[in-house]
Amino acid sequence: MSTENVLHIEHLTMRFGGVVAVNDLSMDINQGEIVALIGPNGAGKTTAFNMVTGVYQPTEGKIFLHGQDITGRRPDEITKLGVARTFQNIRLFSSMTVFENVLTARHLRRTSNFLSATFRLNTAEEKKMRQETEDLLKEVGLSDVKDEKATSLPYGKQRLLEIARALSTQPKLILLDEPAAGMNPQETEELGAFIRQIKDKFHLTVFLIEHHMNLVMDISDRIYVIDFGKQIAEGTPAEVQNNPAVIAAYLGVDEEDEEAGKA
Amino acid sequence: MNNTTKKKADPAIFFSAVVVLCIYAAVFIAEQTIAPTSMLFTVLKKGATYALVAVSMNLLNGFTGIFSLGQAGFMLIGAYTFGIFTIPAAQRINVYQYYNGGIVQFSLPWFVAMLLAGLMAAFFAFLIGLPVLRLKSDYLAIASLGFAEIIRAVFQWDKLGVITNGSNMLNNYPTFNDFNIRNASGKVTVYLSTLVPFIIAGVCIGVIILLINSTYGRALKAIRDDEIAAEAMGIRLASHKRLAFCISSFFAGVGGAMLAMYQTTVQAKSFTTAMTYEILLIVVIGGIGSVTGSCLSSFLFVACSEWWLRFLDQKQVIGTFQVPMLRNGFRLVVFSVIIMIVVLFFRQGIMGTKELPDLFRSQHKKEKEAQGK
Amino acid sequence: MWNTVFPYLLSGISVGGQYALIAIGYTMVYGILRLINFAHGDVFMVAGIIMVYMAASGVPLWLCIPLVLALTALIGFTIERVAYKPLRNAPRMSAMISAIGVSYALQNLVLYITGGLNQLYPTIPWISQSVTVFGATTKIVTVVTPFLTLLLVIALVQLINHTKIGMAMRAVSRDFETSQLMGIRINRVISITFVIGTFLAGVASILYFTNYTTVIQTSGAMPGLKAFVAAVFGGIGSIPGAVVGAFIIGIAENIIKGLDIMLFKLGLIHGPLGLATFSDAFSFALLIIILAVKPTGLFGEKNTDKV
Repeated sequence: MSTENVLHIEHLTMRFGGVVAVNDLSMDINQGEIVALIGPNGAGKTTAFNMVTGVYQPTEGKIFLHGQDITGRRPDEITKLGVARTFQNIRLFSSMTVFENVLTARHLRRTSNFLSATFRLNTAEEKKMRQETEDLLKEVGLSDVKDEKATSLPYGKQRLLEIARALSTQPKLILLDEPAAGMNPQETEELGAFIRQIKDKFHLTVFLIEHHMNLVMDISDRIYVIDFGKQIAEGTPAEVQNNPAVIAAYLGVDEEDEEAGKA
Repeated sequence: MNNTTKKKADPAIFFSAVVVLCIYAAVFIAEQTIAPTSMLFTVLKKGATYALVAVSMNLLNGFTGIFSLGQAGFMLIGAYTFGIFTIPAAQRINVYQYYNGGIVQFSLPWFVAMLLAGLMAAFFAFLIGLPVLRLKSDYLAIASLGFAEIIRAVFQWDKLGVITNGSNMLNNYPTFNDFNIRNASGKVTVYLSTLVPFIIAGVCIGVIILLINSTYGRALKAIRDDEIAAEAMGIRLASHKRLAFCISSFFAGVGGAMLAMYQTTVQAKSFTTAMTYEILLIVVIGGIGSVTGSCLSSFLFVACSEWWLRFLDQKQVIGTFQVPMLRNGFRLVVFSVIIMIVVLFFRQGIMGTKELPDLFRSQHKKEKEAQGK
Repeated sequence: MWNTVFPYLLSGISVGGQYALIAIGYTMVYGILRLINFAHGDVFMVAGIIMVYMAASGVPLWLCIPLVLALTALIGFTIERVAYKPLRNAPRMSAMISAIGVSYALQNLVLYITGGLNQLYPTIPWISQSVTVFGATTKIVTVVTPFLTLLLVIALVQLINHTKIGMAMRAVSRDFETSQLMGIRINRVISITFVIGTFLAGVASILYFTNYTTVIQTSGAMPGLKAFVAAVFGGIGSIPGAVVGAFIIGIAENIIKGLDIMLFKLGLIHGPLGLATFSDAFSFALLIIILAVKPTGLFGEKNTDKV
């Protein structure tokens, strides 16, 4: 395990009115790790993601990125600091092509202002952005559909495009919210290999939420398990699988049904 | 226009450029050969003005997804800025007769004043945007509409009369007719009173198109498609919305200046909410999210309301049969019905989100497909 | 001083009551459809025009009033069916554009019918009579309006809180989809909402035009916008909010109309400031302030956006 800390979460709590969605969650993710956050539906996983990416302001607790306090920063600021994400309910730019979706995510690394961009004084930068987008699409295997409307792609490819778009912001940490949802078993297996591949290629740290247990157990270095917003276990896949609390709270429910429901 | 990375020279863009140039050439020739009193020129001048304003509104409503209804207010600022700074110093004592000639005692060249008109509108947009742009869709619409009404009241305020001439009109400033080139005896040698507004509108719309197809334009479209995703991709919502709002208002201001030139007089009370509605309907008819559509529908709208449907307002007798219902105002009724049909059944408008080059492209594509088969 | 302020206050309360009746239509429709019904003010104006033409064609006034109210409600019903219902699943902007289209169409239709001339509103006996209240001379309608408004509002609140259809309305405004799933006949509820809203606008038109005596195609635009501002000010979706908002705006704009005189009498100014110019603009300034400070209005409920 590498020692450099990427994400450090301290006593994070989120309340919506009377409901406690996330309760005193603390975690650490180190450079180069793949860490999964699992738990039954409604356990507060996406809420945790939304706090890390700045969509929600946590009620209590702190979030550090590379030791820098990012609690309560805006989503775009956090993305600029190197945290990218995908969405559980796919949120692609529906009017744009695959290529434009990925290209648009480069906007935040621009050096031009609106005048120089409008009057085409930034052609070198624009050219570079486009070239990098081409390369990235080749890398993830979406080159052949790059001029298609993003929303016309099959579901699995849309999920892939979400990842490609997130990568285009040049993150150090990528948050994947149920990347395998809606994928068939073969696609899911390929996704596992793909996540490892991009992790190495782009020197990423990966933080994911996933319901496909095979995938989680296959690729994760460590797993956090939460239930009712509270952490109930943490450890390697093997440790988590044998943890009685987890079995009781989570794996104890019929896992087959859980997966069938998802697929 | 945008997503072409493969080839440098896109034939579709080339054809579009040719079409646009032909239109300009036709306008120039028409102006030299047809009597200047023809309705055609009224339509072309007003159409060019409305095209610019409609495209500026489309930049907000169509490309950024901000439903603003403040356009008339920004046009008012532009029109007044233009009028105030271009009335010849010698005329001021007549125009500002109730205010001792006003306090502005110099005049600027028309193009400087026009630029200033845009900048002034953009500056007001910046101030107004601070509270308004934080609001959600319909609240934003009503708040921006409210601001336009406030601006209208402020410009009519007697205490500002030394600048704005209060509720009295501004006139005697340069108009489109002053673009005509005259010889020493005052006879027009070259008619430019339609071509110049076409060029002004064309350049402005060209700049908007360049913006839309730049990286900033993509960011704006991203905000329109999905604010949350756009923000997650590092696009700062507040600054980009403000940018779109100010740029849109800048061009609405320039459009207001053009309207002032077209009308030859300006009065704050005419920049009503109804004017904004009219421009919005033009945008809808053309296609929300299509610059080409906004331009086309501006000319259509103006042509129908000023020219082609005029006969509906007069008694018409065919043989001995007098067509019923035709009298003053019927034109607007027919017009409203057409608009409602478009709004209800042809929500895509004329162009949908397509642009001029797309028309050539689809043609090209179809041919290719036909060959393939 | 009181003698100066009171007439303005009185007409403010009166106009406020009329705005309140219009604002209820806005707030109920918004509560259910999340639609700013831009045409609502024009329906109010059309009600005025119907009255003018009906009275001119010889229908006795006592019959005109119920007929006008019924016709106005019918127009509201028709507009919803023709212009909004087909767009129920379209983006929200489409319905709003359609509303603007209807507003444009109604104004143009009236322009065509009237030839764009001011129409003299028929003089309704009794309420058009002059009366002196605390030394201020005004029409009886001015005095009657606030009471009638409150009466109608109380009746409406009873309807919403204690009848089955009222319960359905509350359910639909709380959660459109779920109430649909629960078997509430959405279209019926929406139609009834429009009928109630436009009926009240019809009542408002009788009170308003009796006071202002003329109707023209643009007569509905400003009262409509101000009533909407009142609805937002009070917290959109809330009927008491709309009523309170409407009275505040009605009073405020009338006070502003007389502000020059009041300030002069107080010795604060020595010449006219022309503040009356801002009587319309003030409502909008108020709107922007409330939206900036408390976007949900005085009585509005907070809803959170889901991500």
